Amino acid sequence: MRKEVPLLITFVVALIAMLSQVTTGNVPGLGVAIPDVFERYISPWMTVVSAFSLCLASVNLIVVHSRNVSRKQPEWIYSVVLLGSLVIYGTWCTYIQLNPDDTAASFGYSLIYNYILSPLMTGQWACLAFYVASASYRAFRARNLEATVLLGSAILVMLGATPVGGVIWSKFPVIQRWLIDIPNMTGQRALLIGAAVGSFVACLRTMLGIERGHLGIGGS
Amino acid sequence: MSFMERIQNVDSRIIYILLLIALSLPLLRPIGIPLQTDPMVRAVYDIIESLDPEKDRVLLSMDYSPGAGLDAEVSPVAVIQHLTQRGIKWAAISFGTTDGPMMTNRIIADLEAKGYEYGKDFANLGYMAGEENAVRLFALDCLSVPADVRGNKTDQLPVMQGIKTIKDFAFVMQFSMSTPEMWIRQVVDPMGIRFATGTVTVSVPSIVPYYNSGQVKGVMGGVSSAAQYELLCNNPGKGAALMDAQSMGHLLIIVFIVLGNIGYFVMKDKKDKAAAGQ
Repeated sequence: MRKEVPLLITFVVALIAMLSQVTTGNVPGLGVAIPDVFERYISPWMTVVSAFSLCLASVNLIVVHSRNVSRKQPEWIYSVVLLGSLVIYGTWCTYIQLNPDDTAASFGYSLIYNYILSPLMTGQWACLAFYVASASYRAFRARNLEATVLLGSAILVMLGATPVGGVIWSKFPVIQRWLIDIPNMTGQRALLIGAAVGSFVACLRTMLGIERGHLGIGGS
Repeated sequence: MSFMERIQNVDSRIIYILLLIALSLPLLRPIGIPLQTDPMVRAVYDIIESLDPEKDRVLLSMDYSPGAGLDAEVSPVAVIQHLTQRGIKWAAISFGTTDGPMMTNRIIADLEAKGYEYGKDFANLGYMAGEENAVRLFALDCLSVPADVRGNKTDQLPVMQGIKTIKDFAFVMQFSMSTPEMWIRQVVDPMGIRFATGTVTVSVPSIVPYYNSGQVKGVMGGVSSAAQYELLCNNPGKGAALMDAQSMGHLLIIVFIVLGNIGYFVMKDKKDKAAAGQ
């Protein structure tokens, strides 16, 4: 029963979701349209489940990092920082939700976000520029035909995408536009169609119970 | 080690320092390199210009976080400035990240300081969990979000009056750190709305097929698009200020790539000749 019931739920829900896109007919015996069943009942329920999964992620984070701290595992001090931040930030946010008129608390919360969290995240992103610069210098070598095509395209796109390219030669933006619109789009479409077919097959496998990874019991 | 060997193996720290200089100098002393407007950016501008401030409302899906840096942050600022300049009312909601409402609040704080009124001119509906599914749910019933981030009831916000489904918005734009497939799958194709997207530069090539097929009416990709948009609105801001730095950074990277390849070919030639002589 531990396997069959979840598999049955998966099958029924997936069937309704699939049929809701291709038919407006009623569910036999219920007199309710299939798209209505999906949109009125299953869809809101999925949103609630997603909201719960956020809570579950927090609980999981607390369990894992509390264990790190209690066992004094390597770099446990970072776990203390994470747990402290989680508790302070979570409590503060809950307080604001319960007391929306407390502007001082709300202002303080924004300060933490805007002047601590946000600069840290933006700084981390900005550091990528330096790694990308160094990595491109080392990786873009015209060692063979494929690497040469990649190198040439990269340089043309970089020059076309920045204003300085247009100043150097007015055709750089035109070439960049062509590279994006024709060879890139052709490749992207092929990838999209391939991914869509692959997704459909994966969905069918899950729906029919061949793929059981979501139940934590592996494949067939 | 010969010069050619050296230019093949420049120390990373030298590249970092030179890049820092190349990025910093134009910020301190702007060069003012002229910008060309991309048709995908102009399309967004034209849509907003075509809206009627008296009756049209815009929905913004704010699905980006500070983790995507200024590349994601400057485009929504430019578009929202245009909307507010034209007196077009807008509502923002987030599906992709819990950071979205905070990012919206930042923009709203600036607008409130300029005298625009929360609730009447714009509203922040917060975060709705469920990603793709939540997008569909909201599209079918925009009042499924009971309250905004300030605790006001959604159905009582002046900006949301007359809005029942997403089709009541004249234009929908998503700002994200990736591609807008979930919007296209769940809303654009089934409900036929006018939709555009703003994203980070690296995601633009993946969106081009949707733009060329007409599913996405306009695309803004990163700082350069924001800069072009600011200039279209005659309102140069952060985007335009960053463009010289971006140009210099790219130019430096290209110079290093070219030098690395010159070194590689000269050394390869030497090795080939040495091998032939043995």
